[in-house]
Amino acid sequence: MEDSKEKEINSEKNSPSIRKPSSVKDSFQSDSHPLIQHEQVPIVKGELFSLNKKRKKIVSRVVRTTQQNFQNHRLEFLLAEALYQERKRMKKIKPLNLAYLSNWTRHTQDRKLWRSVQSDLMKKSTEVDRKQILNRVLKTYSNEIAGHFNPTVYQFATRFVPWCFSWILNAASLKRFLPWGMTESLEQKLIIDGEIDHLQKLSKQGTILILPTHQSNVDSILIGYVIYLMRLPPFAYGAGINLFTNPIFSLFMNSLGAYKVDREKQNPIYKQALKNYSAEILQNQIHSIFYPGGGRSRSGAIESKLKLGLMGTGLSAQIENYKHHREHPNVYMVPMTTSYDFVLEAPSLVEQYLGEIGQHLFMGSSHEDAPPLIKLGNFFWKLFSGQGKITVRLGKPMDVFGNFVDDQGRSIGPNGTLIDPRSWLTTLGRLDHESQRDQEYTRRLGQKVVDRFHAENTVLCSHLVAFAYFMALRRKYRSFTVFQLLRLNREQRTLPYSTFMNSVEHCFQKVRALSDRGELFLSKEFSHQSMTAWVAYGMQQVGRLHEAKILKKEGESVTSEDLSTLYYYRNRLAGYGISILGHQGRAKRLRGEIDEQGFLA
Amino acid sequence: MSKDFWLNEEILVLGGGSWGSVLANLAAPQVKSVKLWVRTEEHARQINSTRGNARYFKKMTLPSNITAVADLDRAFESEVKAIVWALPSSVSRVIAKRVTQFLKGDEILIHATKGVEQGSLKRISEVLEEEMPIARIGVLSGPNLAAEISQGKPAATVVASKFDEVIRAGKRLLQNPKFKVEHSNDMIGVEWAGTLKNVLAIAAGALESAELGWNARSVLMAEGLSEMVRFGEAMGAEKDTFLGLAGIGDLLATCTPLSRNYRVGLGLGQNKNLDQILSELGSTAEGVATARHVAEFSRDRQIKMPITDAVDLLIQNKIKASELLGFLS
Repeated sequence: MEDSKEKEINSEKNSPSIRKPSSVKDSFQSDSHPLIQHEQVPIVKGELFSLNKKRKKIVSRVVRTTQQNFQNHRLEFLLAEALYQERKRMKKIKPLNLAYLSNWTRHTQDRKLWRSVQSDLMKKSTEVDRKQILNRVLKTYSNEIAGHFNPTVYQFATRFVPWCFSWILNAASLKRFLPWGMTESLEQKLIIDGEIDHLQKLSKQGTILILPTHQSNVDSILIGYVIYLMRLPPFAYGAGINLFTNPIFSLFMNSLGAYKVDREKQNPIYKQALKNYSAEILQNQIHSIFYPGGGRSRSGAIESKLKLGLMGTGLSAQIENYKHHREHPNVYMVPMTTSYDFVLEAPSLVEQYLGEIGQHLFMGSSHEDAPPLIKLGNFFWKLFSGQGKITVRLGKPMDVFGNFVDDQGRSIGPNGTLIDPRSWLTTLGRLDHESQRDQEYTRRLGQKVVDRFHAENTVLCSHLVAFAYFMALRRKYRSFTVFQLLRLNREQRTLPYSTFMNSVEHCFQKVRALSDRGELFLSKEFSHQSMTAWVAYGMQQVGRLHEAKILKKEGESVTSEDLSTLYYYRNRLAGYGISILGHQGRAKRLRGEIDEQGFLA
Repeated sequence: MSKDFWLNEEILVLGGGSWGSVLANLAAPQVKSVKLWVRTEEHARQINSTRGNARYFKKMTLPSNITAVADLDRAFESEVKAIVWALPSSVSRVIAKRVTQFLKGDEILIHATKGVEQGSLKRISEVLEEEMPIARIGVLSGPNLAAEISQGKPAATVVASKFDEVIRAGKRLLQNPKFKVEHSNDMIGVEWAGTLKNVLAIAAGALESAELGWNARSVLMAEGLSEMVRFGEAMGAEKDTFLGLAGIGDLLATCTPLSRNYRVGLGLGQNKNLDQILSELGSTAEGVATARHVAEFSRDRQIKMPITDAVDLLIQNKIKASELLGFLS
């Protein structure tokens, strides 16, 4: 029965008569942007191609700048603090497991470095210059962080990745019974829309920093491919160091300009070196990507708390560019959102989240997180065969303060005024870094990015049905906290279909109003099908390949086999203040806040 | 360098009312020159020829480096590095739109408006940010009865901004041995404190008319302050701000006969009609509209504001002054 429904949906989806051209400006998301052609597109060369040549210079500049940043610090204390934190970190590493062995070289290097730092710090400062110790640490760090770029591997990847994607898609689709003559193509599965032409223009006028939302380990590959399809030169990106331990990932990462981010290293020296590396490559006009939320979203919600340290490197790079009178000084910030019906890691991520906020209140079964190497094939298989669609949206580009920019890269102020970024960076008549001011600018940029993430988010049918189901449950159990609700037994959580549909309708009205106000995008299924059809589609798509059926219709009722995972998908609509207690007691609940019953508001 | 910087610069004060001219007077010794923008040519001429602002103060003399002007072109004739905004909340958005075209982006702006935009309940700094291409905005607020400061009596104030350089500029431009400038980063708190106390001033005036005594007045102040904190926190302010100059400090100064809002309360307590009171006052009283909008908003969001609710009813003539405290529970 499900299959026949899918046929219906697919045939509707592909019928040319109802496909809207992308130029139609309404509140609904259309298919991919006209500039996106899912075919072999010519490779665009960019600054990243010369990374290997510049690498040595970049590394030594990072060392020098970081050393300058610390020139007013008591190096004795700084090094001691770093040593303390590093020793604590290294103690936590469990030896002799798989992860340890694959990182063996790195761990040995770290241990050697800090052992020598320790013994040098024991000696008098007249004997061993503290500056030299710092220099040694910085050299190791900078070399670890800095990436490489190999054009041949890039060329290979641009062919291999889509081939791989398509192969998986088509092989996977054999399992389902599609109407005769119809094959699923990447084109139908991967929708890319947003400010693509704008971005293409800006990439020639300044340096781009793409800031994506982050849900899954495959985001990096997907984003790299999307950038290629947009006919932009390759971007450098910060990737978690754990991804480098997987031989296949690491082959690509090491050659495609990725720089290593070790989130375990929390000492100030490392953090500063990492920031300076990012600023340095931006100054070299290498377009970059990093996830402003840090790691993957645990709760499933759109990021609301951002790592401002790295994000601020755009601003400092721009100031340096002005000071050196560079031709294209501007750095542009481009938020990017990805919407999935199915995130393979969802069960383990949401359990981590609930465990953290609920502590003793939450009892979960332990799901495993990142798939080990053996499961990698399976992982991709599930990822792509499990998707209705993946929707990627490139948001409106902004300057380093969060002002929108026009086609020519000029910052737009209120009432149509143009802002000269230099004037915002001038204090008492002088254009320079000013740490408190720049921090505040970056904080505001962060808020703006969070707002834009929400506004540029494409809501899928699967998210809406998940949200509506929770809304209906909350109406029934008004006084329950999120943890009480998640513990409802099968019978208690089963709702009459009509109750569920009422809730869907109610939520849809709210979401629709938000979409009319430009506060989010709706995927096109909402407008192209009847409500019954898109609800069925959403229920079928939501987390479809998880082991448990997370939302299903049984006769005249609706139930869930895994409420925690369903909560993950529900949270994609958190942050808009549309949940039941969204506004109570507060003027404005901030994005990422929970309401009085512990639900993400 | 920073110390000499302002001595060579011109600043602009927008608003030639009592507070605007006092602020211009405070800043004048610290800068090369001050432009004081007023609404009418006549007023500008009068200020420039008499070196005073007789409409508001009989005795105050304005230094020679202050020039009053009535059109914005002249106000921005030479480069302006700092702007002091001393206009009523009701015109803030309109004037901001007009000023926009003159701004370069590196200006520092400090506003001294105690009120919010009616209807939207947006703070003035939010309104200015929405309308003007500048980022470095701050607010000045505190127990600052303009008449006393014009006579050289001591006072203190708070300059709040998210940007430390705005606070530094505020201190540098306005502080003198008799006028102390404190700093804060809680813009939300300082702006809301300056707004909400106007409502309580109306209540205090009404209680005075009804002759309910000092105890009742103290109950009002204490309960009123916690009401301010409650609302402020809901808007994202910090509690401590309300315990400082901009909160309790300003509240105590405003619940005195020198304050316009207090006089509105006095009139209401004597069963006078609101229009009549306002026409006798000859100027606006921010608290009247604030009471209505804040009461509406807090009812909607379920924030407990009994005094504000009562003041709102009093203004609408639905209760008597003697019933004001009956709403405390």
